[in-house]
Amino acid sequence: MSTTLPEAKAVAAAEDDVPILYMQRTRDYYLALGYGNPYRWAHFVEVPFTPLQTSLDRARVALITTAAPFRPEAGDQGPGAPYNAAAKFYKVYSDSTESAPDLRISHVGYDRKHTTAKDINTYFPLERMREAVAAGRIGSLTPRFHGAPTNRSHRETEADLAELLRRCREDGAVAAVLVPS
Amino acid sequence: MGCAKDIVEHCGVPRFLWSDFPLGNSAGKPFDAESQAQTLELALRVLESAPAARTTVQSGQRWSEDASWKRDYNDLTKLTRETIAKRRKEFDVVKTIAKAKREGS
Repeated sequence: MSTTLPEAKAVAAAEDDVPILYMQRTRDYYLALGYGNPYRWAHFVEVPFTPLQTSLDRARVALITTAAPFRPEAGDQGPGAPYNAAAKFYKVYSDSTESAPDLRISHVGYDRKHTTAKDINTYFPLERMREAVAAGRIGSLTPRFHGAPTNRSHRETEADLAELLRRCREDGAVAAVLVPS
Repeated sequence: MGCAKDIVEHCGVPRFLWSDFPLGNSAGKPFDAESQAQTLELALRVLESAPAARTTVQSGQRWSEDASWKRDYNDLTKLTRETIAKRRKEFDVVKTIAKAKREGS
């Protein structure tokens, strides 16, 4: 990461160098394809907040991902594969944080033009988190990480989130890192 | 940790470390362990120090000097009518597969 020194000249950003309006672009895209009834993203009045109750070097931390376990029978899930609905999953899953799971993101709408999903560490930071534990930055990881289904149903997603919370608590987590892909 | 700032903030989360990278790189740049370690470290600092819900911190890392990659995601201006019709057909197939899989799960 670069730091701007006080004496350095500030560089102006391009006019269109702003956060991408994914919701607007996605709505426009599917309307242009001829689909009505645009998707409504989750939107809440209140957002919960709990300060970290212990120092991080003593905390047990969970990792939650939207990546899917590779399944040979589910078609092309390789880097740059077209959107693959057959690779989606609809139930919360868990696997060991001691393992090196083969997780893919062919089932979600990542940017296929500007990235390839060749490096699992860009969407599933388990290796980096293990290093943070080894360095004493994080107390420990929970024995399991968890997979969150990318279900378009808000009702199903709320049920999945309750299950994820249950599993995190069962594992003694005091915090969770959520990484959507 | 995420890349879609508008979607995450629309939902609302306790803490958000935003990387202005193409979707799929929430945890840092590909094959760049330093970028990934810095991204995680910043997320951990947000976890430790955010004062209230909906705290967003933007990573200082840039995907590239040139920001023109941002124009391409679902950019309708680059699609011909034929391409749009083709995409519609392809997505109808995808929806059918997803529906069958969801109902079978």
